[in-house]
Amino acid sequence: MSSKVTPASETTNPEEIYAKHQKVYPRQVTGIFANLRVLGVLVLLGLYYIVPWLRWDGHQAVLFDLPARKFYIFSLTFWPQDFIYLALLLIIAALALFFFTALAGRLWCGYACPQTVWTEVFLWFERQIEGDRNKQIKLDKAPFSARKFRIKATKHLVWLVFSAWTGLTFVGYFTPIASLWTALLNLSLGPWETFWIIFYGFATYGNAGWMREQVCIYMCPYARFQSAMFDKDTLIISYDDKRGEPRGSRKKSADSKALGLGDCVDCTLCVQVCPTGIDIRNGLQYQCIGCAACIDVCDDVMDKMGYPKGLVRYTTQHAMDGKQTHVIRPRMIVYAVLLVFITSALFYSMITRMPLRLDIIRDRNALYRETTEGMVENIYTLKIINMDGKPHTYHLEVDGLEGLKLINQRGDIEVPSGEVITVPVRVQIDPINLKHTGADINFHLQAVDKPELSLIEKGRFIGPVMQ
Amino acid sequence: MSETRQDIPTIQKFIAVLWPSFLTSGVATILFFTAFDPQELAMVGGYGIISRMAGYTIGFFIFWLLTATTCALTCYFQRPCNQPPSTTHHHHPKDA
Ligand code: SF4
Ligand code: SF4
Repeated sequence: MSSKVTPASETTNPEEIYAKHQKVYPRQVTGIFANLRVLGVLVLLGLYYIVPWLRWDGHQAVLFDLPARKFYIFSLTFWPQDFIYLALLLIIAALALFFFTALAGRLWCGYACPQTVWTEVFLWFERQIEGDRNKQIKLDKAPFSARKFRIKATKHLVWLVFSAWTGLTFVGYFTPIASLWTALLNLSLGPWETFWIIFYGFATYGNAGWMREQVCIYMCPYARFQSAMFDKDTLIISYDDKRGEPRGSRKKSADSKALGLGDCVDCTLCVQVCPTGIDIRNGLQYQCIGCAACIDVCDDVMDKMGYPKGLVRYTTQHAMDGKQTHVIRPRMIVYAVLLVFITSALFYSMITRMPLRLDIIRDRNALYRETTEGMVENIYTLKIINMDGKPHTYHLEVDGLEGLKLINQRGDIEVPSGEVITVPVRVQIDPINLKHTGADINFHLQAVDKPELSLIEKGRFIGPVMQ
Repeated sequence: MSETRQDIPTIQKFIAVLWPSFLTSGVATILFFTAFDPQELAMVGGYGIISRMAGYTIGFFIFWLLTATTCALTCYFQRPCNQPPSTTHHHHPKDA
């Protein structure tokens, strides 16, 4: 093997890639990166299952209330009109992914991707119920028996219950979770909620229980294109073949120099722990999700043999070639500048966002009306949306033409937080003051208790022109 | 080129059709229902009052059906068309 980063297609022939799928039994591993991974699982899944239960100001703290078309994120309420923030957020997420991939390779895959995280949990259940790797292989090889059935049934039952809980939590981000549970316990779940709980639950069960590494290999678009973001300074997990080869088993007491062996004792533990079932010693392969399990296990082996750690380690292509690694390089600067720029733009527009909207709809039935007093009257329906976290009372005025008169029977308008209030108003003018058949007039809306909360919206006034 | 494509497992062919279309229909659903309220659409279309969840769900599956059809057609048209029909079906590199 050369020390070049070899794409999988050169090391594995196509028939192997597409050969019938063989189940991978990842061996359990301990070590610093395994601990980091467990920490990632606990933090991310902890957040996932707990966040929908947080309360804020009398509502669910994080709720993407699809039935009401409103998103609550703590004190903020977002409306379909705020779509731009979601778009910006997605762009930021994509850029951050590019940035971290160029910097540190597949960190996302190994530690944070939901696929990895849920698979870890499912593997943990499997180990609790079926035993370690060897026991699992033995059980699968064993002929069908009552014991085998009992163990397998228990495993799938546990997986399914956990998946159902996951699905329910998922739907709990979109409809209030407390009422979901109540409905579930009363057996009165709505049909669509039930459908999505089952859909997401089965996706979890299928992906984390059955598909596992195949999701990463066949389904993940990121896994396919991430190599485009890699360069020779990207952090990768690599086997040091200059040091390891020629590989071969030996006694701990043996003098490997005399035997002409490298440091790899060919214990194949790195292959056994790999969740995607590859051999890191064949070079960088696109199946590798960068979980670092092989680093942990090989470091243990090196310790036992009394060799220095790091035969398999985090490194860069440049470092492997004995060259300098550059963290700061043009593509990093470009990603970083874009990230900072778009993130600041998002924050700026969020801070200066006016949590108030006014939609003006002209009465469709009549262009205008003449009152008994000889005034020309237009009728409007105003929709006032209070997107602020607090209720406000708003004062409405109108100008733009001389002698405009606003007839608003409600007076000042109180709008609860996150609500829309519809107000019918009439605007009158003495036809003497009308110079054209149509003119723009301005509606001024201002919160009585918070004057900086104000806006001006244009409306159209139509009337006859007096000669 | 075409041989290797023929050679991928059936499950992978299903994934190649259903999965990308799932992703794009998800995006389409978000964009579409950000702009339009399913309840208003149903009213205008004369379907009466439906729950918004029903609207989103049905919308999502209509999008998925469309995008999956597109993916399936793309896969279909990638088959070589200059081979006699008898060999396109049974050809396998291992037999060759
Ligand atoms: S774990 Fe280390 S020593 Fe064992 S086979 Fe893998 S690279 Fe060689
Ligand atoms: S090769 Fe190593 S880092 Fe890559 S997936 Fe396998 S165990 Fe994880």
